[in-house]
Amino acid sequence: MTDVSSEFDHAAVLAKCARGEHDALHQLYIHEGARLLGVVLRIVKDRGMAEDIVHDACLNIWQRADSFDPDKGSARAWIFSVARHLALNAIRYRDREITFDSNAPTELDHDEHFQHADVAEESFDWQTGQRMDSCLEQLEPERRNCVLHAYIDGLSHAEIAAHTGAPLGTVKAWIKRSLLRLRECMA
Amino acid sequence: MTRPNDHEREDDHALAGEYVLGTLSLEQRKVLEARLPNEPELQKAVMAWEERFLPYTAITTPVAPSDYLWPRIERSLKAQKTPANRTGSAVVPPRHRRILHSLPLWRGAAGFGLAAALVMGIMLANEVTEPTISTTPEYMVVLLAPQTQSAGWVVQASSRQEIELIPLGTFEVPEGKALEFWTKADEWQAPVSLGLVEPGQPIRMRLDQLPPLEDNQLFELTLEDEAGSATGLPTGPIEFIGRAVEI
Repeated sequence: MTDVSSEFDHAAVLAKCARGEHDALHQLYIHEGARLLGVVLRIVKDRGMAEDIVHDACLNIWQRADSFDPDKGSARAWIFSVARHLALNAIRYRDREITFDSNAPTELDHDEHFQHADVAEESFDWQTGQRMDSCLEQLEPERRNCVLHAYIDGLSHAEIAAHTGAPLGTVKAWIKRSLLRLRECMA
Repeated sequence: MTRPNDHEREDDHALAGEYVLGTLSLEQRKVLEARLPNEPELQKAVMAWEERFLPYTAITTPVAPSDYLWPRIERSLKAQKTPANRTGSAVVPPRHRRILHSLPLWRGAAGFGLAAALVMGIMLANEVTEPTISTTPEYMVVLLAPQTQSAGWVVQASSRQEIELIPLGTFEVPEGKALEFWTKADEWQAPVSLGLVEPGQPIRMRLDQLPPLEDNQLFELTLEDEAGSATGLPTGPIEFIGRAVEI
């Protein structure tokens, strides 16, 4: 586990939430709120929307805490997954809405994504000291970037393709193959 | 029950990985999410990817939430749990709230609402026999419950100044609470209250004080204290929400 969170007992907090203790959710919010907001904001790129999603994530965590099974994974991974998937669903809805407004060009949005991705790439200090590092290291840098940008920035296949200049089909194949290699490496 | 072969299992691991990465389309995400409750192997595959990638969330910079986020969460929690938990002095403190500015649920409901609105439009066109609605509505809004995405109310507008809010079912309002009706067009700074509504009761209103109804205008019903929001802005949880679609 990462440094900052090692002393905080996420599983115990979820168990308290499942018992209806409001204070437990507050503890979690105090401990992880800023990190959750950082992760969500990076994906949705809109401050107000990001706070709305953290709000929804907290309610989701509260409501679903009793369904968390510590045998199936870590509480911290579960908590972050709730927030990330709300954020990802929200931006995919947003993308779909944009395509409904077919007359509105979406170049600006895309440029913003790409700029964002560029910045991240330049200062890519992605190593975390985890075992996964060495597996990611074995991927070609371009493919590793695709994978990490997808995860951190919530980029779709098409956005990665536009960003890297690679054809869409190639990007899809890269990601799929990278995932298979990562899984083998972590096995 | 069919036993997936190795190749399918491998595909599911890759699919789970793409779900966690976030590269899937909305439709693909929904299909996978629908499979999850019944497929423990797929659940395990997803959780394994969540664990593998979790450390890389540390690449993002933490951002301190604004001061009003926790109070808002707390309010939503209380509204869910304790319907009768209220004292005489329970005044909601005024806060500037962003709830209507960019709530993802609105966007979600809007995407879904469009399809639902078209379906409902067809249904209502066949069923409405009331002679007072002489013309076909110009705008339609389907108000969905954010959690369940089920339709609770429909707004029909026969002109851009007159709307009718029609319940599709009943809704249990906790004691001491009321449903307040709000609207906000894209350009407006803040939502405007259209007053309190009775669950299960249709209500017709003229929007004389407001600009003409426009496409994509947002409507929502929030749960407020029985006298309505003290701040003039929605303070309680959103019960139903949707956007106007021009017909």
